[in-house]
Amino acid sequence: MSNGRVSLKKIVKRHGAFTALHGIDLDIEPGEFFALLGPSGSGKTTTLRIVAGLEEASEGRVFLDSTDITNTEPGDRDVAMVFQSYALYPHMNVRQNIAFPMRMVGMPKGEIDAAVQDAAKKVHIEHLLDRKPGQLSGGQQQRCALARAIVRKPRLFLLDEPLSNLDAKLRLETRGELKKLQRSLGVTTIYVTHDQEEAMTIADRMAVFMDGQIVQVGSPKFVFDNPATADVANFIGSPPMNLIPASYADGRIRIGAHELQTSCRVGGERNVIAGIRPSSVRIGPSGIPARIDLIENLGDALLLDLSLDQMTIRARTGTEVTSREGESVFFSADPTAVHLFDAVTRVRIND
Amino acid sequence: MQTPVAARERRFAIYLFLPAFLVLLVTTTVPLIYLAWTSVNRVDLTSPWIKGFAGADNYSKMLGDPRFWNSLELTVIYTGTTVVLQMLIGLGLALLVLQIPRGQGILRVAAIIPIVLAPVVVGLFWRTLVLAPDFGVLDFVMRALGFGSHDWLGDPNLALASVIVIHTWQWTPFAFLVILASLSSLPPDIFEAARIDRASSVQRFWYITLPLIRPALVIVVIMRMMVALSAFAAIFAATGGGPGSATEILNLYTYRTSFTELNFGYGAALAMVLLAVTLLVSYSMFRLRTAR
Repeated sequence: MSNGRVSLKKIVKRHGAFTALHGIDLDIEPGEFFALLGPSGSGKTTTLRIVAGLEEASEGRVFLDSTDITNTEPGDRDVAMVFQSYALYPHMNVRQNIAFPMRMVGMPKGEIDAAVQDAAKKVHIEHLLDRKPGQLSGGQQQRCALARAIVRKPRLFLLDEPLSNLDAKLRLETRGELKKLQRSLGVTTIYVTHDQEEAMTIADRMAVFMDGQIVQVGSPKFVFDNPATADVANFIGSPPMNLIPASYADGRIRIGAHELQTSCRVGGERNVIAGIRPSSVRIGPSGIPARIDLIENLGDALLLDLSLDQMTIRARTGTEVTSREGESVFFSADPTAVHLFDAVTRVRIND
Repeated sequence: MQTPVAARERRFAIYLFLPAFLVLLVTTTVPLIYLAWTSVNRVDLTSPWIKGFAGADNYSKMLGDPRFWNSLELTVIYTGTTVVLQMLIGLGLALLVLQIPRGQGILRVAAIIPIVLAPVVVGLFWRTLVLAPDFGVLDFVMRALGFGSHDWLGDPNLALASVIVIHTWQWTPFAFLVILASLSSLPPDIFEAARIDRASSVQRFWYITLPLIRPALVIVVIMRMMVALSAFAAIFAATGGGPGSATEILNLYTYRTSFTELNFGYGAALAMVLLAVTLLVSYSMFRLRTAR
């Protein structure tokens, strides 16, 4: 069994004058569940399609297990892909759809049947084999596409937003199943999503794309705890991190007329963006005064919109907060929970 | 029991339906019945004193009429050849044009031109400008290439091929346009999935493209067959069914019998046979279309 290590070296993709990817370098370990995360138009899907061979890179090389596959046909790369639209063959039933990749290489019929049964069982659609895709629900179509991908035991799975066409409840269920399936198969998987929560929950590691570049690679927890730029910080986490313009001097930041202690040990004075996650904002008897504009009750938590000098700061608190809308409160944050980014470059300052 | 609202809706529906129904009745059903009635009568203006009910005489006469069998054979050849040619050329052109990144629009517009020409104009245009011996474009090219001059429409061996070419020229764009529209509506991701699923380009065409455009292909075949079976004006203008009966398909034989030889009874019977052939062909094609 081959292992499935993927390496991208300086991948550039241009569409005429527009550059979609500005030199992507990426190494994905064998068996890893790797997410490409980013807002739409950030280049994550283009990257996936270049790995699949559906698009050609303008520059750079793609390696799969130290074989250069940059100019290899998609069918010869030993990769399988699940499309956002599922791309099932509408004129074939589920059985024929799943069998298609093996029929195309002339595998004996007996082997195909056994493999189709096996793949269908893994995604629990054995009872749907004689249906046409048009007779399946969205979730069943998604499983059919998944079965078509796993049936050929490829070295690499490519999943392009496979959950985005499912409703919220099904998406949560399928997310878990997908993760278990990937674990049991042990096949390297690249997963494209714009949903940061999806990437956080499902991936072993992820790469965050912004404007055709990878801004950060790491485990979801690491990226969440140490966002490399203010934009990553803003993109990951829901509700997004509060980004507050402030001035920094020797470990303390100044927001308007108020001061806040940070754990940063960098010396000197500079303008910064202070990032505080809503869940790290503490409402208490002392700190920076702000007014509550809006309270959203989530049942097990409250979301507060605090206004401070025309800025809105969001806080996620326990339901024990009894203040009402319109009242003034004080907020603060633990020094270690304050992220600092350079005001100009937006790059992280503290470590 | 109908509610008043439903009754009013129903009455309104009948008002909408009635005019079209009456027009159809007067222009198609009544003439058709009259045609069927004529076909079982003796109506021959060259001998008007013999008339009256003839039963199946007109039909049994056909069995021993070599000109009828000749025209039937020509109809089959004409229809079969033109439809196959249109489908092959139309599909080939559509697949080629689909690869062109720019200028598809111009080609689509250009393709409409032959279709909108009246068939009689097409027949005359080919007869005088393209196929005329010595003056025609084709003859000019053939002489330049050293193949010599030919009487494309006057030579009994060439006339049928010539009218088949004329028909194909006029109607291939129709097949081309429908197939092109069908091809360009196919979702590209299915072909990408097939590429990843290791299907070669021939396999993709055979297992994906053809089955997916099959409904369009069948519809085009049906429509092309019906038009080929009812082809008349272009042949009439180009050869008039001649030379001799070299291009006399069933339509032209019917026309000549009825309106040149003025034997309306026999002509009507021929028309009924043509109708039966057309219905049979369309029915079996529609069966083919719905068959899985």
